[in-house]
Amino acid sequence: MSDWIHRIVTPTAIVISAGAIPCYATTYLTVEQAQKLCFAFATEFAPANVTLTREQRKAIEKDSGVRVRLDTQKVWRAQSGDKVLGWFIQDEVLGKHEFIQWALALNTNGSVRQIEILDYRETYGYEIRNEKWRAQFTGKQHGAELKLDSDIQNISGATLSCRHIADGVKRLLALYDLVLKH
Amino acid sequence: MTSCSSIEIRRCRPLLGTFVEIKASGSGETELHRAVNDAFAAVERIQRLMSAHDPGSELSRLNNEAAYRPVAVSRDTFSVLRRANALASESGGAFDHTIAPTLARWGMLPANLCRNNPGGWRDVRLLPHRHVRFLRPLALDLGGIAKGFAVDRALEVLCAGGVTAALVNAGGDLRAFGKQPYWVHLRHPCLPQSFTRAVELNGSALATSSPCLTERRWRGRRVSHLVNPFRQNAITGGVSVSVRADQCWLADALTKVVLNAPALAEQLLARHSAEAFVFTA
Repeated sequence: MSDWIHRIVTPTAIVISAGAIPCYATTYLTVEQAQKLCFAFATEFAPANVTLTREQRKAIEKDSGVRVRLDTQKVWRAQSGDKVLGWFIQDEVLGKHEFIQWALALNTNGSVRQIEILDYRETYGYEIRNEKWRAQFTGKQHGAELKLDSDIQNISGATLSCRHIADGVKRLLALYDLVLKH
Repeated sequence: MTSCSSIEIRRCRPLLGTFVEIKASGSGETELHRAVNDAFAAVERIQRLMSAHDPGSELSRLNNEAAYRPVAVSRDTFSVLRRANALASESGGAFDHTIAPTLARWGMLPANLCRNNPGGWRDVRLLPHRHVRFLRPLALDLGGIAKGFAVDRALEVLCAGGVTAALVNAGGDLRAFGKQPYWVHLRHPCLPQSFTRAVELNGSALATSSPCLTERRWRGRRVSHLVNPFRQNAITGGVSVSVRADQCWLADALTKVVLNAPALAEQLLARHSAEAFVFTA
């Protein structure tokens, strides 16, 4: 409360913890939790992983205008008994400052059903483009937490755009068209 | 503090051009997820109505047609326009929701929002039966207020959904509900990895405006998503303004008043029981 004595406050002493806080990170949902949230009535999630050939990667890039960074994609077919309810695709996007694991749920006709962020990491160091740093999180939705300053729970400040997710949606819709639709 | 049986869930979706995070506490996980789903749906609805980027939004219809005939809009859009008009008038135009043509010229909004010699906020007329008419060709951008409004709506939905405490954070525009105190760190405008001391949100809202992440070059000038309506130039440089108020739409809109008319801001903040936190790097 003491920060707000005056109507307009200009902080003179800023508590800078550069170095102490390499990034801001939150895990929201495990893959299983997100699957249930996207398809509440599904009885089964059948793995239907996709491995893209060079040609397929190129075709997706041409169709979506977005670079395809990985040649494998984790995909599940959501089913209720024999009835297919749609597709659940796990993905990751890499921004300048963000490394985000997320999931796209598609209806059987290929329309977007739901988007959920699974894990969000933001940093301002070299870390985000460092394979080893990112490898810590791949395939580990919980546990494997970097020990961060746990006091930093909520942030207000200059807004990060979600453009990379929008690009990711374009890319995965192109993948659906090319590989999953048939 | 919440009771021992209380659990908290956290969810996040890409909405409103940024990341919308919702934390909700209550006793049953299924009910919490349902309430959060409904809250996200409320945010999506506001986005569908008021996005200047979406050619199918209600706002786009206004921008296309309201200069030629009165256009009927939804309760929510009308409500946001009423608040925007009131705040524009109260601040003498320091808050201005008619800056879309300038942002379009800089490539920050779709090019079809460019206008020659456009009208201003005084030309936005609210008529009976939720009709809107522009007295001159102009283009609205509700980006400075609708995000906060969406946060307010999401929080209402969460309250109605029976959660005991909740926090909605739409890319730095936040509002809290419940007895549980939430702490928010303010980001330094030039050193994004640095934070100030935490601010406590006890059922109140906090919004921040800063050009830091949108600033770029345009024809040899620096531009950003923040426009000074008096000079029609961009707010740039290491500045960040946070406002705490009872409601998030108000906090969101008041950040622009503090940025554009600091001399006037103090009085306006007092009138709305709001407070501002200004950083200059």
